[in-house]
Amino acid sequence: MIPLSYNFRSLAVRKATTGATAGGVALVVFVFSSAQMLAQGVERTLGKSGSDDIAIVLSRGADAELSSNVDQASIGLVKAAREVRQRSGGTPDAVAEIVGVLALDKVGTTGISNVQVRGVEESVYQFRPTVHVSEGRAARPGADEAVVGASIRGRFVGLEVGQSFEIRKNRRVHVVGVFEDGGSSFESEVWTDLDLVRSAFGRQALVSSVRVRLRSPADFDAFKRSIEENRQLGLQAIAEPKYYADQSEGTATFVRGLGFIIAFFFSIGAMIGAMITMYAAVANRSREIGTLRALGFSKLNILVSFLLEAIALALIGGAVGAGASLLMGFVRFSVINFASWSEIVFTFVPTVVIVGKSVVFAGVMGLLGGFFPAIRAARVPILAALRG
Amino acid sequence: MNVVTIAVRNVTRNKFRTTLTVIGVAVAIVAFVMLRTVVAASSIAVDFAAKDRVASRHKVSFVMSLPRHYIDTLRNIRGVRAATWANWIGAKDPRDPDNFFATLAVDPESFLVVYDEVSVSAAEREAFIHDRQGALIGDVLARKLGVKVGDRITLQGTIYPGDFTYHVSGIYRATRKSFDRSTFLVHWDYMNESLPEARRDQIGWMVARIDDPRHAADITRLIDRTFENEDAQTLSMSERAMNLSFMAMFSAVLGALDVVSIILLGILLMILGNTVAMGVRERTNEYGVLRAMGFLPRHVVFFIVSESIVTGALAGVLGLGISYPFVQLGIGRWLEENMGGMFPYFRIDPVSAVAAFGFALVLGAIAAVLPAWRASRLTVTDALRRQD
Repeated sequence: MIPLSYNFRSLAVRKATTGATAGGVALVVFVFSSAQMLAQGVERTLGKSGSDDIAIVLSRGADAELSSNVDQASIGLVKAAREVRQRSGGTPDAVAEIVGVLALDKVGTTGISNVQVRGVEESVYQFRPTVHVSEGRAARPGADEAVVGASIRGRFVGLEVGQSFEIRKNRRVHVVGVFEDGGSSFESEVWTDLDLVRSAFGRQALVSSVRVRLRSPADFDAFKRSIEENRQLGLQAIAEPKYYADQSEGTATFVRGLGFIIAFFFSIGAMIGAMITMYAAVANRSREIGTLRALGFSKLNILVSFLLEAIALALIGGAVGAGASLLMGFVRFSVINFASWSEIVFTFVPTVVIVGKSVVFAGVMGLLGGFFPAIRAARVPILAALRG
Repeated sequence: MNVVTIAVRNVTRNKFRTTLTVIGVAVAIVAFVMLRTVVAASSIAVDFAAKDRVASRHKVSFVMSLPRHYIDTLRNIRGVRAATWANWIGAKDPRDPDNFFATLAVDPESFLVVYDEVSVSAAEREAFIHDRQGALIGDVLARKLGVKVGDRITLQGTIYPGDFTYHVSGIYRATRKSFDRSTFLVHWDYMNESLPEARRDQIGWMVARIDDPRHAADITRLIDRTFENEDAQTLSMSERAMNLSFMAMFSAVLGALDVVSIILLGILLMILGNTVAMGVRERTNEYGVLRAMGFLPRHVVFFIVSESIVTGALAGVLGLGISYPFVQLGIGRWLEENMGGMFPYFRIDPVSAVAAFGFALVLGAIAAVLPAWRASRLTVTDALRRQD
């Protein structure tokens, strides 16, 4: 086999060409990797919001909490189901919540945007132990107070500790704390008292959803049957992880699809760039190739050598691009959630798999771009090449 | 043979490389045109908004509705010529629940007056107005649902409980680019009666047609002041402002597309720059000969730069030649049919096309700057002696 140092030195000699080609690959890989990281962020944020022992009950036909209406009478029936776990005090481990959307002014732009507001019961922290107030304090029920998720604090006018926003005319809600939930989509919501949201939105006897904690995830089927068999209730039960997977599907597919289409087009450009470079390398080095052949290296040796050179060239670019995309981890990106028409803040989440995929993607671009030039190199006739 | 001819002829020196470069850059241009079309298409709703329409909705949130009697008050406000209202139904086609399209409950007669761009034959218009279960469907959606005038279609309600059967009374076309051709319009009365007593007689939003577009700002203020002391306050905006605020929800995505467009231009520059650098390196001896014959450094610069610009121009022509059929006949039509809500009109914006061609020329010139500058600085003897 021809030593790899031959290829590396050849790349080092033509700095401008190597730089331009690798630079093209780097830009492609940067975009490819960033899009995957964002899609990962979408899935993680929404996926984290679900837990397998929780079932969510909505009105039949509704595909999101926002379009669901569960009446007061049904809440008790749902909570009383046999499969629902009991808290130590003997009350069912379940919460009824109402979801609304508020139009608020976005900080730093002139536009208004939608924020999801959730009316919660006092026991919500007991029901969701992963949620904790990281700044200030929890909102007191009945006191027109709210806590805001860590992702949206300060992004909208009024959503900062000590500030207030209007939920209806002359009814201001004061923000008293910030809560965190390990990056889930709840962090893009405002939480306040259940009855406050119900009266502000004119839905006195209604809630959007009832969430229950089951004795075990295996009880879900029995619970679902008991809820849906009673057709008069007009309710449906969904396992929470499935509910959030369906919610994130649209947005994640959108981001991933867009990223994929863009990366596909870009990679054609970068492959052609690599091809141009490698063809020129073959043409300029035909005398060297002749010499190598005369020394006894086979056609296959030459083919492999040039392919490796193309792959190395692309990998340099790939490493630079993937490295640069890691910096996107510091960027926060707000995307509209198609299920609720409100904004959710996502981050770019780098994973080993994504970085690996990006580097492999670069290598494949090099392989494909270098393939035909390498064949040409292998076919260089010895005598003609040596004669020049 | 003059200097220009020599410069242009240089393009055909290495036909294979020129071809590859032109293809690579052309692909980048196709991608650029597509990205810009996405950005331009998403602002169609703003650019083509009717100037004489103002919309009013609940001040707090789009999920909250207004009392039905507001429309009578609105009609009496000075400057308002006609007014109508609509509710979002959110019904789905049970045969294909993933097929998303807008379903609106409207007051047929006034809706067709206010939205006069909804064009439908007189007979179909009468049929729609007089059939309580009638539906008026956009031509793009009708094709997708596979329905024609006279058919029956059943949709499954989400916000409105139950299944609803409609008679297709007419199929409309839109005479204004901003109006979605995939909307499903039905009678408000029919939908209202399906609701439980407590939720009846609510309207989602109101739209008024005004006498003079110049008074739009005054009239929106007047409307909001009129309802200031009522139960529900309104937020009124011109149609343009409303569409702009809708677009603002996607600002992060549009911003990302802008960044990606710039990266794309970077890739284009890399491909062109690489090709120019290679050509210059191979022809250094020739430049020495030319200089020895009496050509000046600026002639050398001229040769190199104009060759690069011509390559860029060829790529621009090819890129636009591919983009037009690809977008206008292929992807544009698909998007209009499947994502009509976001892209009612997805066609190449002439400004984007001109910009793409301009960038191909300008980047061609920029790519040549460094190699040309270097070549022009070589002394005659160095250039003649240079062996690659």
